[in-house]
Amino acid sequence: MKPNGRLSVAVLGAGLIGIDLAAKVARSRALECRLVVARAADTPGLRQARASGLATATDGVGSLLAADEPFDVVFDATNAMAHVEHAGLLGPLGSTLIDLTPSQVGHMVVPTVNGAEAVGHRDINMVSCGGQASIPLLHAITRRHRVDHVEVVTTAASRSVGRGTRLNLDEYVETTQDAVRDLTGVKDVKAILNISPARPPATFRVATSMVGQDLTPESVRAAAEEAAGRVRAYAAGFEITACVAEGERAFVAVEVAACGDRIPRYGGNLDLINSAAVHVAELIADAHGSAPAVPTAGTETS
Amino acid sequence: MSQQTTGTDDTGRGHLLVHDPTLRDGHHAVRHQLTAAQLRGYAEAADAAGVPVVEVGHGNGLGASSLQAGPARLSDEEMLSVVREALPHSRMGVFMLPGWGTMRDLRRAVAHGADVVRIGTHCTEADLAERHLGLLREAGVEAHGVLLMSHMASPAQLADQCARLVSYGAQGVGILDSSGHYLPADVTARIAAMRAAVDVPVMFHGHNNLGMAVANSVAAAEAGADILDACARGFGAGAGNTQLEVLVPVLARMGWRTGIDVYRLLDAADVAERELMPKPPTIDSVGIVSGLAGVFSGFKNRVLDISARQDVDPRDVFFELGRRQAVAGQEDLIVDVAVGLRERRAGRGGQTG
Repeated sequence: MKPNGRLSVAVLGAGLIGIDLAAKVARSRALECRLVVARAADTPGLRQARASGLATATDGVGSLLAADEPFDVVFDATNAMAHVEHAGLLGPLGSTLIDLTPSQVGHMVVPTVNGAEAVGHRDINMVSCGGQASIPLLHAITRRHRVDHVEVVTTAASRSVGRGTRLNLDEYVETTQDAVRDLTGVKDVKAILNISPARPPATFRVATSMVGQDLTPESVRAAAEEAAGRVRAYAAGFEITACVAEGERAFVAVEVAACGDRIPRYGGNLDLINSAAVHVAELIADAHGSAPAVPTAGTETS
Repeated sequence: MSQQTTGTDDTGRGHLLVHDPTLRDGHHAVRHQLTAAQLRGYAEAADAAGVPVVEVGHGNGLGASSLQAGPARLSDEEMLSVVREALPHSRMGVFMLPGWGTMRDLRRAVAHGADVVRIGTHCTEADLAERHLGLLREAGVEAHGVLLMSHMASPAQLADQCARLVSYGAQGVGILDSSGHYLPADVTARIAAMRAAVDVPVMFHGHNNLGMAVANSVAAAEAGADILDACARGFGAGAGNTQLEVLVPVLARMGWRTGIDVYRLLDAADVAERELMPKPPTIDSVGIVSGLAGVFSGFKNRVLDISARQDVDPRDVFFELGRRQAVAGQEDLIVDVAVGLRERRAGRGGQTG
C-alpha cells in the first residue's frame, strides 16, 4: 500500500494482454503501475509501454524478484505453463497474483458472480475471455431455471489472439469448462473456441446454449439483460445479440466490443478479461483501504 | 486390379495416396448418427477395396460432439474401436480441430489405434496446431496439418502456413475447400505454391458445391498434390465431397496409380449408398448458394432448420453468413443472422425480400 492509497502493481508479460492491462492500470484511481516486464528488450509491447512513460524491465519474473520491495499486485499475462512457476516464486513475497492465463492454479473469479471472494485469495485466476463473457449470463439464468447442460462457444478474431493463448487452447477449453461448472453448478458443460481468420476481423463473440426445463424467452432474456448490465459497469461494449428460448432449449449470444486503450474494437476478448482483472484489483484495493490487515492464506475459503 | 483398369491410358505418372473420410466428413450429412453396424459395413468394404486410409469420427472430428455441431450417436471411442477392427489392411485416420478437441482426445485416439492423425486449423491459424502436432510426433503416429476454409487465404499465405505446420512436425500438409468454392485454377495456384514451400506430402480435399470436386482434385494432382481426399458417393455435408469411385478411375485413366481395386471400390460405394445415406448428396439450391457464398457446407442442415423456424429464405441466410465471413465452427451465428433477416423484413412492413 502506497502513501497515496494506491496499490503498487507490476504487469508480467508485454503481449497483447499485458500492454492493454498496463494502460488500464495506469488510468485506475486505486492502482499504480510501477513496472511492465517482458523477457526480451525490444518487443513492440515494451516499446509502447516505455513510450507512454511506464517503467519497464526485461528479465521476466526475475525483474520482479529483484525489485526493492514486493508489489502489492502482480498481473500475470504470460501463459498457463509459466504461471505455475511464477506463483511459486512470487507467492512467498506476499504479492497478490491476478492471473490472466488459463492455468487453473488460482481461485477462479468472475467479478459479477463471486467478486467478493477475490479479497482473501493470494492467487486469483481470471478464467478465460469466454468464461468472463458467458458465466455472468449463465449464473443469472441458472439461478432462475433448471439447466442440465451448458455449451459455450467463443469466437475471437485471429489478430486478437496472442502467442500465449495460441499455445494454451487446451487449457482454455478445460479452464472455461471447470469455471462454468464451479460457478453455475451445472455438471455437464462443453466449451469450444474458434479463432476466426475473417478480414475485417470479427468482433469477439460468445454463444451459450442451454438444455433445461421451462426456459421461457421473457425469463431468460430478463436474467441475461440484468447480468449484462452488471458486466457493462466495467466492460461497456458488452451486448446481447441474440436470445432465443423455447421450453427445453435456450440460446444467448453476446458480442463484446473493445472500448479504447490499446485494443481495436473487435478485440473485446482482451478488453473484457483485462477490465475484469483491473476491477478485481480495485476491489482488493478498496478492501485494503477499509481493513488494514492483509488476509493470510490460512483464511482462504476454497 | 489389372482387369478392372483395362482401357486406361497408363502413362505412368506415379502414385497418389487416396484418403477416404466417408465415415468422418460424411457424418455431417446424417447429423453424426451413423451406427456401429454402418461404420463396420463401410469400413470392411473400403478395406477390401484397398483404400489406404479410412478416416472416422464426428464430422468436426475428435471431441466435437456438441449442440453447436450436433451430438454424435456414438462416442469417439466406440467409433474408433469398431472401425479399427474392421480394417485389417487399411490405416485408420482421425481428425481434430484444436479448440474443439484437446490433447486428451488425441491420446485416447492413439490408444484406440489411430494411424494417421490430422490436426485442422482455419487457413491462417497454423500455429494453433503446434502443441498437438508435437504430441503426435512424440506418440509416434503419422501427424498431418490441414488448413480449413482455405479459399479465404492467398496461395502465398497458404504456402507460408504449410511451412509452419512442417516446422511444428507435420509429416503431411493440405488444404480443405470447406465451402466448395474453388474452380480448378484456384486449386492449381494454391497447391503449386504449397508444393514449392514444403518437402512433405501435400493434400487436397474437395467439396462439390459448384460441381468441381473431381476437376479440382485432378488440378491438385497435376499441380503436385500427393494425397487426395474423396468419399464414397461423395457422402458429405451439403452438396457432398469429391466422389471417390469416380476420382479413382479418372486418376487411373490419367496414369496415376492408387493401388485401389476399382470393382471392389464400386462395391464399397454401393454399400455406402445402400447402408449409410437416405440418398446420395445432390447439388441443390442451398448447396450452390453456400459454395458461391464461401460458407462451410456443414452448415446446411442447421441453416434449413433455423430458416424454417424463423420463416426466412435459407439462401439469404447463406449469403449473409458469407458476407460476415462465418467460418466452420461458427454455427451459432446462424440464429443471429436468421433472426436479423426476419426482423429486418418485419421492419419493412412485413414484405418478403
